[in-house]
Amino acid sequence: MAITPTHDVQIPAHGDLHAETQAAAEHASGGLPQFEFQHWAGQIGYLLILFVILYVLVAKVFTPRLRKVMDERAQTIDSAIAAARSVQAEAAEQAEAARAEVEKARADARATAAAAKQRVTEEFNARLAADEAVVNARIAEAESAIAKTRDAAMTNVATIAADAAGAMLDRLTGSKATDAELAAAIKGAV
Amino acid sequence: MAGPIEQFEVKPLVEFGTVNVPVLGEQVIAITNSHVAMTIAFVGVVGFLTLATSGAKVVPGRMQAAGESLFGMVDNLANSIIGHEGRKYFPFAFTMFLMVLSMNLLGMFLTFTATSQLAVTATLGVLTFLTVVVIGFVKNGPGMLKLFWPSSAPLAIRWAVGLIELASFILRPATLALRLFGNMLGGHVALKIFAQFVVQLGAVAIVTGGLAYAFIPVAALSLGMVVAMTALEFLVAFLQAFVFTVLTCIYLNDVVNLGEGH
Repeated sequence: MAITPTHDVQIPAHGDLHAETQAAAEHASGGLPQFEFQHWAGQIGYLLILFVILYVLVAKVFTPRLRKVMDERAQTIDSAIAAARSVQAEAAEQAEAARAEVEKARADARATAAAAKQRVTEEFNARLAADEAVVNARIAEAESAIAKTRDAAMTNVATIAADAAGAMLDRLTGSKATDAELAAAIKGAV
Repeated sequence: MAGPIEQFEVKPLVEFGTVNVPVLGEQVIAITNSHVAMTIAFVGVVGFLTLATSGAKVVPGRMQAAGESLFGMVDNLANSIIGHEGRKYFPFAFTMFLMVLSMNLLGMFLTFTATSQLAVTATLGVLTFLTVVVIGFVKNGPGMLKLFWPSSAPLAIRWAVGLIELASFILRPATLALRLFGNMLGGHVALKIFAQFVVQLGAVAIVTGGLAYAFIPVAALSLGMVVAMTALEFLVAFLQAFVFTVLTCIYLNDVVNLGEGH
């Protein structure tokens, strides 16, 4: 309740500062100042003028300006994206090419390796065959030498047997046998 | 101390005389604080848009980014509500948005709020309404009346639904005007009352002393309320401008895309 005096004292003081007509008008209507109509026409007319001017400015100046720059931006972004896409596609293409190249190189290497292997195998086989032939020839030679030696040895065996038989006959009987008799005698034995 | 509604008084600064206008009666032709507030709001909008768009670059500066975000917001609104023809009606919606927003926000800095004047909000409401009506008749001719003949309603109650549609259509300017007016009025009255509490209760406590010191915490609480409500009023200032614009777009959509199902 202590508020009321302050309020009452201040209201007239304030009212004096401003136009008395307004204070009177306020007391007369007793409602909101917005429902006093004497200033309506001025506000309405002025607001309409401002609105129309602003509308024209927005429609003819500001909107086109902003639309232009926004379209430009959209275009820039689109072209940048398109450029990035094409670069990406190119990179993918190059990667594909590189891979194909690597694949081809690998295939080549494989073919080379196979050819080399075949060549080496053939060479090896040929050398093997040659060596075998030499060895076989040597074996044959040795075999024939052995056969010859054996034949010679066999002939000597007959002579030695005849000699031994002659000597044994001489020692046992004291009679000498002719070579022809001895040969005939051992012929069946050797 | 001034009452909480004194801030809404229109005070003539320069008077030119009076005229008699048919409906409104005796009219004072003057430059008033309302005119000053509207002018500052208008100049602010034009200045802001000029700063935002002069030398606009593909990579925006600060002002341009701010301008573009408001522009883009209303542009998206118009396009999403009205559709492919949204671009045509965008300047109207954007102008409305900027006017209401600037006058609302200016009220947070000046002692006078233009949008707390019923004359101003009614003008904007009627302007939107008449624009919608004119566009509707220009685009659809007499077919505009199909707006009040809901073909999706059963035939038996169609006339009743149509009457309701007509009534709600005619009430649109009033709802547009009163919504904005009421929000601005209520917010500023509440702010003023709580601000008065701070000073009056504080003064009483200090002058009277003794038990009256109990008013100090109440005054402090009021101060807290003023701070919180100031933040809320900034939100309301933006939100009401946004709502006004959304409704403008919706009303335009009704007549632009008439008969395409809504």
